[in-house]
Amino acid sequence: MFFSASYICLAISLFFKQEMELSLIGLQNAGKTSLVNSIATGGYSEDMIPTVGFNMRKVTKGNVTIKLWDLGGQRRFRTMWERYCRGVSAIVYVVDAADRDSVPISRSELHELLGRPSLNGIPLLVLGNKIDKSEALSKQALVDQLGLDSIRDREVSCYMISCKESVNIDVVIDWLIKHSTTAK
Amino acid sequence: MAQLVKKDDDRDEEGVHYLVCYLIAKACWSYSTAEYSPFLGIEKGAVLQEARVFNDPQLDSRRCSQVITKLLYLLNQGETFTKIEATEVFFAVTKLFQSRDIGLRRMVYLMIKELSPSADEVIIVTSSLMKDMNSKTDMYRANAIRVLCRITDGTLLTQIERYLKQAIVDKNPVVASAALVSGIHLLQTNPEIVKRWSNEVQEAVQSRAALVQFHALALLHQIRQNDRLAVSKLVTSLTRGTVRSPLAQCLLIRYTSQVIRESGVNNQSGDRPFYDYLEGCLRHKAEMVIFEAARAITELSGVTSRELTPAITVLQLFLSSSKPVLRFAAVRTLNKVAMTHPMAVTNCNIDMESLISDQNRSIATLAITTLLKTGNESSVDRLMKQITNFMSDIADEFKIVVVEAIRSLCLKFPLKYRSLMNFLSNILREEGGFEYKKAIVDSIVILISDIPDAKESGLLHLCEFIEDCEFTYLSTQILHFLGIEGPKTSDPSKYIRYIYNRVILENATVRASAVSTLAKFGAMVDSLKPRIFILLRRCLFDSDDEVRDRATLYLSTLGGDGSVVETDKDVKEFLFGSLDVPLVNLETSLKNYVSVHAEIQEPSEEPFDINSVPKEVKSQPLAEKKAPGKKPTGLSAPPTGPTSTVDAYEKLLSNIPEFSSFGKLFKSSVPVELTEAETEYAVNAVKHIFDSHVVFQYNCTNTIPEILLENVSVVVDASEAADFSELASKPLRSLPYDSPGQTFVAFEKPEGVPAVGKFSNMLRFISKEVDPSTGEAEEDGVEDEYQLEDLEVVSADYVLKVGVSNFKNAWESMGPDCERVDEYGLGPRESLAEAVSAVINLLGLQPCEGTEAVPSNSRSHTCLLSGVFIGNVKVLVRLSFGIDGPKEVAMKLAVRSEDESVSDAIHEIVACG
Repeated sequence: MFFSASYICLAISLFFKQEMELSLIGLQNAGKTSLVNSIATGGYSEDMIPTVGFNMRKVTKGNVTIKLWDLGGQRRFRTMWERYCRGVSAIVYVVDAADRDSVPISRSELHELLGRPSLNGIPLLVLGNKIDKSEALSKQALVDQLGLDSIRDREVSCYMISCKESVNIDVVIDWLIKHSTTAK
Repeated sequence: MAQLVKKDDDRDEEGVHYLVCYLIAKACWSYSTAEYSPFLGIEKGAVLQEARVFNDPQLDSRRCSQVITKLLYLLNQGETFTKIEATEVFFAVTKLFQSRDIGLRRMVYLMIKELSPSADEVIIVTSSLMKDMNSKTDMYRANAIRVLCRITDGTLLTQIERYLKQAIVDKNPVVASAALVSGIHLLQTNPEIVKRWSNEVQEAVQSRAALVQFHALALLHQIRQNDRLAVSKLVTSLTRGTVRSPLAQCLLIRYTSQVIRESGVNNQSGDRPFYDYLEGCLRHKAEMVIFEAARAITELSGVTSRELTPAITVLQLFLSSSKPVLRFAAVRTLNKVAMTHPMAVTNCNIDMESLISDQNRSIATLAITTLLKTGNESSVDRLMKQITNFMSDIADEFKIVVVEAIRSLCLKFPLKYRSLMNFLSNILREEGGFEYKKAIVDSIVILISDIPDAKESGLLHLCEFIEDCEFTYLSTQILHFLGIEGPKTSDPSKYIRYIYNRVILENATVRASAVSTLAKFGAMVDSLKPRIFILLRRCLFDSDDEVRDRATLYLSTLGGDGSVVETDKDVKEFLFGSLDVPLVNLETSLKNYVSVHAEIQEPSEEPFDINSVPKEVKSQPLAEKKAPGKKPTGLSAPPTGPTSTVDAYEKLLSNIPEFSSFGKLFKSSVPVELTEAETEYAVNAVKHIFDSHVVFQYNCTNTIPEILLENVSVVVDASEAADFSELASKPLRSLPYDSPGQTFVAFEKPEGVPAVGKFSNMLRFISKEVDPSTGEAEEDGVEDEYQLEDLEVVSADYVLKVGVSNFKNAWESMGPDCERVDEYGLGPRESLAEAVSAVINLLGLQPCEGTEAVPSNSRSHTCLLSGVFIGNVKVLVRLSFGIDGPKEVAMKLAVRSEDESVSDAIHEIVACG
């Protein structure tokens, strides 16, 4: 009984292998590369170097293979975000919730990106990172300040996370798996 | 690139870059050899469509690789992508970093390098490349380094410098080579960073891997190339040690020859440093090293035959190699050696004769021309027979080479002119393009002028040629030549038929020159006059204006009214004498003349005066100079140069009333600097020579922004120039910062005498301070003086550089009446070439026929000079130099001119110099 059940599970995972492609964007120092590391290995490192360009990572969670385009957040890369968001399963937008000054810029960059016709309808996951810090915004404040309520043409979710202390990372992974598409 | 001559076993190490070149080359090759090519019908639009597969969520690596290959093929074929297309392709290609397929990743690297997107876009791959640079896969590391260094800028380079230094000493040769080659590229843009890697590079030179050693040596040399001592040290240490890689050995040989060149010629013992090393390389096991060493030895400056012998021996072995590339390399090198040391090459003659039938036509041509250079008189006939068979199946460019070789052979063995002239006339009748025909005609013309016996047969060959010549240029040139040489032959009448046939059958240009040629016969040969006049009168009915005009002119000046009288010398001079002004100068003067009268819109009262045309030929820019060695010019016109500065000076001076009475400007010198560079006031002077006056033009520049100079003049002390007396001075009213101005001083001197002297100069001026904010000068100034360097008027200032096209003819027509010959000892000199150029500079005459170039290592040299002395007297000079053991140079100076006092004056110049 037990053996046959696990056998079926294996069969399902073979036949229904899921795959998804994600773009990870957000201003510099928001914690995008740290998030990738959290999702992939659960590890965390204090001294990260800025991503010059992009990092490509493939992560397998359960029967889902996730391709992650982790893009640099500096100003010179922002015009190129759109090219790596076309055709992805979801856009993950990471915000440093503890850096209140940068939130307005974050908001305008997000809305400008979502205005591109090529990205119509792609689900958006907004992550407020660094809630381990005391000065971090609350979820509601972040939603308000980013103007997420005004986005109506796509599915929008928002979670507050901490890569450093691995808070809510599992929720993020669940959300991602839910949005994966069946491999053809 | 050297990499392309690599042997097969190195290819693995080379990585993908050469593999792809190889693939593409192979593809092109198979394309050219017909049947099937995978690249057949590739079209940009379609390939760009195909490139969409890069964006597929499920990547097909094989397909992607194929598409990139096609894109690379297009780029290599010279196809260009628009900015948008390139950007699209680039970003699509970056998506391929997700693939773990090693082959595809290689193609991605290549594609990024080839596309070379703009800096602000390409930065997107930086992070991925840095990851690859530290990856575990050596192939990724090597290629990521290459791409990263290609796209990097200074700031990023400092970030990755640490990794690059490690990579240079990496144990994997592919990685080390990649870092070293990148270093070579980066040295152009970021030299200071690459120079810090010296220690690592030095370690890599000792690597066991052949390619690493090669690249490391190249980089190390580039890092040190500006430091002669360091290069010398490098060569010294490496020639003692063991450099294993043949390619590195080749490099080392090149660097060694460079050091030999720079360290100067033999020291007292006569031994050449490093020669033993080069000679040792002749016994190396790799052919490329042997060849490189042999070539280096043959190219040593002043190489002796003892030094040459071992190199010639190995080259001789190569001549019978089964590999075409070795045969080619050897015969090409021997060909060069034959120019300077024909005797050294004669040993190889038998091997080279067998190469005449070589399948490769380049080898065969080189073999023939080498043989022609080294052959002796007895072998000429046999050679000519072989060449005749060979000529029919080579291309025109090779034929020209052969024709030129035959020409010089004929000049060497004048007795053999008959068979060589026959050969030339035979090939003249065959099919061929303009350049080829021109080379043949030039050769025949040169042979006719140099070998008197060949004249009659040569002229007849040319006559036959123009009977059926499709090139107007050649026909007119030959007709002109016939006009000069024909009348001097024993039976001038036989040429008339050929010439008059041209009047009947040819186009207007050729008809016109045929008319001139006929007239020349008429003028020179009195017995032919009546018949020529009949022919010329027929030409009066020609349909072309120019032809009729010429016929009319000749008939009236030669006395075509029926009376057969001896033609006046003046008429001959007028019609056929050489124009003693450079054509370019004549053209500018005529243009000026026309434009002046066009402005005032009335026809000129006074006729154009040819004496107003400046006669000086500006020396040609260096780049145009002929390659060293005697090179006959054939039919081409004597070199003329730009004259714009002469015109400018003339205009400038004629606008100054004080100088307008001085007459025609004879010569203006090049500017002489009277101040050091970077001084407050920069002054240079130009010497303008008139018949009985000299004007100094001082070009002054004020280099201080805060100062304005007023009343600028030069006070000249002529106490060391007794023949000169100051006449007038024209000061400069004001000299603001950085806008040059001129002040003049004029002197009187005895007419037509080449007076010399030394003048000391003092710049005198009133200096006023300028307020930098308003730019206005203060009211009061301070009188000040500034000492300038001395200016000298030398004999060469009275001589114009005017070349003659055929020195021998000019020399003979001048006659020995006013010839002056004397011998001089020039004392110890550095070299013969140095002595020759010193005398040329002293005399200020134009060297003719390339004789200013002294072949290295020669013990004697003859130099031909020509020019015009003040008073419009033509001067021709023949200098014979000889050098003996302790570098004592002796010179025989022969001068011919129209006036014996001028001949004496030239001797005076040398005697005083």
